[in-house]
Amino acid sequence: MKNSTISLVVIMAFSFSAFAQTDNKLVSKKTHFKFYSHTAVEDIEANNYSSVGTININTGEIIFSVPMQSYEFEKAKMQQHYNSAKFLNTKKFPKSKLKGKISNLDDVDFKSDGSYKTNVEGELTIHGVTKKVNEEVSITVEGSNVVLNTSFKLTLADYEIAFKDGKPSTNIAKEIEITVIAEY
Amino acid sequence: MFKNKIIKTVLILFGIGLLIAGGVGFYIFNMPHRDVQSLNSDYQLSATAIVAEYLENPDGANEKYLDAEGESKILEITGKIASITTDFKDQKVILLKGDYAKAGVTCTFTEITNNSILHLKEGEEISVKGVIRSGATFDEDLEMYENVILEKCSLLNKNQS
Repeated sequence: MKNSTISLVVIMAFSFSAFAQTDNKLVSKKTHFKFYSHTAVEDIEANNYSSVGTININTGEIIFSVPMQSYEFEKAKMQQHYNSAKFLNTKKFPKSKLKGKISNLDDVDFKSDGSYKTNVEGELTIHGVTKKVNEEVSITVEGSNVVLNTSFKLTLADYEIAFKDGKPSTNIAKEIEITVIAEY
Repeated sequence: MFKNKIIKTVLILFGIGLLIAGGVGFYIFNMPHRDVQSLNSDYQLSATAIVAEYLENPDGANEKYLDAEGESKILEITGKIASITTDFKDQKVILLKGDYAKAGVTCTFTEITNNSILHLKEGEEISVKGVIRSGATFDEDLEMYENVILEKCSLLNKNQS
């Protein structure tokens, strides 16, 4: 009896939050995450089109959830390496998450067209490791369309992604570039 | 004379060995991606069933469906089309979701299979084959349910099979 009361409350809370999100929460329609690694030996690129994100226009909260197995590489072998337990361990950590907040929300007007430079502070969790991030993000408003763009560098060792020996240690950059575009 | 012959044979064998090693290395380096469309599906289930399985026991479902090297299970999912959209790579994305379901299955098609679904409309019941990338969960930061993600999808013609 008690259990069912609790679950009813939980369900109600969820449905209220579902209603709330229509007012101030924008949900991404499509996204593109790209990572790019440059070394003297080779350039490696992987693309992901399946991430989901939200922007809360009242609080400035920006969230992205990234399904890690959706990263597509040109070479199948690279993709296997990337997914394996030695590197990103995507079976154990299937998703990465960015949880950030626009620190200069006053500079952004989601109701009027324009391009806004913002600063997003927050936490990035990859490979089960959470680190603080602080990146420049541009937000473009065009009618009911909102587009987010950003590009930042990431040090793999910070997320305990190690390439100790073999080909990956020489062919993958220690610092990689992540480019994000999301349309809401 | 005899010594020269041995050296010659050793050199030839060494050369052949190098060629084979090089060939294998080249093959592994350039190994093509798995062709999901031509492979048989590992599991057949409804969109509602896989969502329920993930919401009940996410760890168990990940263990069952995800592969450590990213070559995860190939699923055949049947469900009702809730929406048809296009992603940034111009790939069609069909959401299969029950009327009152909390989450569904997003099926991303490919440049090649895109054309096979142009005639489809919302509300139709279809079966799709693709590789699973991640499961359904309620994400408390997004404050919403995330769908099961299926990629490299193709439409299955149930009437003909």
